[in-house]
Amino acid sequence: MIHYVVRRVFIGLLTLLLITFVIYALIRHIPGSPLDADPSMMDPSKMPSKADVDRMLTVYGLDKPWYEAYVHWLKNTVQLDFGNSFSQKKPVADLIGARIGATLKLSITSLVLTYLLAIPLGLFSTVRSGKLDERVMSFLLYMLYSFPSFVAALFLQLLFAVKFGGSWLELPLMGDRSAHYDDLTNSQQAWDQLKHMILPVTCFTYGSLAYYCRFVKANMEEVIRQDYIRTARAKGLGPVRILVHHAFRNTLIPFVTLMGLTLPGLLSGAIILEQIFNWPGMGELFFFSIVSRDYPTIMTLTLMFSILTLLGQLLADIMYAFVDPRIRFN
Amino acid sequence: MGDTTIDKPAPSIGFWQQSWRRFRRRKLSMCALGFIICLSTVAIFSPMIAGTKPIICKYKGHIYFPCMGYYNRNWENPVFQKDRFRRIYPRNLKRKDPDSWAIWPLVYQDPYRPVRDNEWEGMKGNPYGAEGRPSGKNWFGTYKTGFDIFASMVHGTRIALLVGFVSTGIAAFIGIFIGAVAGYVGGKTDIILSRIIEVVMCIPSLVLILTLLAVIERPTIWHMMVVLGLTGWTSMARLTRGEFLKLRETEFVAAARSLGAGRMRIMFRHILPNALAPILVPIAFGIASAILIEAGLSLLGFGAPPPNPSWGTVLNSGKETLQSGYWWQLVFPGIAIFLTVLAYNLIGEGIQESTDPRLADPKS
Repeated sequence: MIHYVVRRVFIGLLTLLLITFVIYALIRHIPGSPLDADPSMMDPSKMPSKADVDRMLTVYGLDKPWYEAYVHWLKNTVQLDFGNSFSQKKPVADLIGARIGATLKLSITSLVLTYLLAIPLGLFSTVRSGKLDERVMSFLLYMLYSFPSFVAALFLQLLFAVKFGGSWLELPLMGDRSAHYDDLTNSQQAWDQLKHMILPVTCFTYGSLAYYCRFVKANMEEVIRQDYIRTARAKGLGPVRILVHHAFRNTLIPFVTLMGLTLPGLLSGAIILEQIFNWPGMGELFFFSIVSRDYPTIMTLTLMFSILTLLGQLLADIMYAFVDPRIRFN
Repeated sequence: MGDTTIDKPAPSIGFWQQSWRRFRRRKLSMCALGFIICLSTVAIFSPMIAGTKPIICKYKGHIYFPCMGYYNRNWENPVFQKDRFRRIYPRNLKRKDPDSWAIWPLVYQDPYRPVRDNEWEGMKGNPYGAEGRPSGKNWFGTYKTGFDIFASMVHGTRIALLVGFVSTGIAAFIGIFIGAVAGYVGGKTDIILSRIIEVVMCIPSLVLILTLLAVIERPTIWHMMVVLGLTGWTSMARLTRGEFLKLRETEFVAAARSLGAGRMRIMFRHILPNALAPILVPIAFGIASAILIEAGLSLLGFGAPPPNPSWGTVLNSGKETLQSGYWWQLVFPGIAIFLTVLAYNLIGEGIQESTDPRLADPKS
């Protein structure tokens, strides 16, 4: 087991090295540099002098060819020094720290909601399989599954923020808190935050909810035909006990893999959705760092997402062995 | 005695025919297929459905097809530019050649410019802003600048389907090739190729796409298709690799090898046709996701530059005017994207179920 994990971690490190190398090479070839992406630099009166530009290039490490700069970046990163953001003049680690909460707030809420709803719905549709209510529900879920989340986001904004504007159903258009947030009492602040979360969480949740439901149902259908289910039924067990203890527990293995694969999504946020809702999270940070050619931020974020992806895969494989004792690593 | 013939057993139907039979039985998948065929027809004939250039016209004794200019600007005969038509055909045709005649597109609206007053005698120009709600003249309403949304969407169909097909085509080509080589050759090649697949898989796709698009100075819709193709091949490569690993040990491959068939021939003539069915499924889903990503990128402002009519750009303009409540700029493109994605998903699922030998009906 330990042997296996060590080998996987080693391969993972190699993969990380390759990924960061490729991304570093790519972003250094993006036309424009952080110096001319900032509009204030374009102002002729504030145009930095030649000496200033040279000094800034040296500070940013842009005077060296990209492969040398990559080695430099790698050395710093190994020592957990992620550098300073070009556009915001702050350490990248601080920037990410300031954003991570907003993203986690959305992703964890949506993940919990998804699991809470998907498992009962999936079990329900297994029991009612083929009946009218199940078919209607499956049809609706399939529709939801195909409904693009950014279209849903815009529709919901139009409906709740604009059409219902002024009525009691009104929900805020964007952002994670109101402009007058600081003047509110504690309970009002909580309500304000909650109100801002409703639309984004809905958009984050419904797609994965539909996917998970179908996933639970597909796995259950396979298990429910097994002999041991018939045995359990012949033993005279109640339907709930058969469904949950005998059938559902045996569908946990693919479920666990899926959980491992959702790990990177927890932190990376969704670039398009966060952009639409103007949500101050990681996706938006990434978008702005690309637009403003903020190399250190792009690199750190890419590194983080890749580590999480690899970690998620590793975790899924280990959990696999944990829930299914038949699997052994050697 | 001579006329007795042995009853030949009816030839058993092939795998693809059988799959098609089973696919045909799935009503929803067939509806989806019909929808995509309709959409393709709209895409191919878009200039004949909505446009301001005649499909065919006779002008000064010659026959012209000005609507071809919508496919490619150079396909419009330069004679109209020389005669100073300034893109307004109806008025100028009659004025400059009284004997001319023309067959017009179904809807006189243009995706590249708003229709102005008196292009036809007594016809009013497009409304804009809050006045631009759907009407008999502008079926899907207009942008805030007066561009017709129906025309933009009809011409945008071309882009949406093209993005889906071209980028998935590129992805399938790369994925199948890499997967096939990794699976069939094996050994060190397999280790290296699998590592490459893993690297590309671990980079979040939007991160890679945005970075690649930023590297290109002025990305066009073609660049975007290539970028989507370059980033979307990993799942197909993994699947192909798996299938090839399985199939290379089979008897028919050994037979082909002993007959002296070359590597390429075995890989792409003998194994690939047998591995194709499972690979078709991610291709159908890939088209859906390519259309989605294109629309999403256009929504972020990374898509085709504005004069290009794409569903995503219509949606983007709707996003900008969202607070004014111009619902028609969101609802129509949103529904179009949804239905197309749904159709491809249904087709993908149909292929999956109808080509799965485990679900095969023993009678057919």
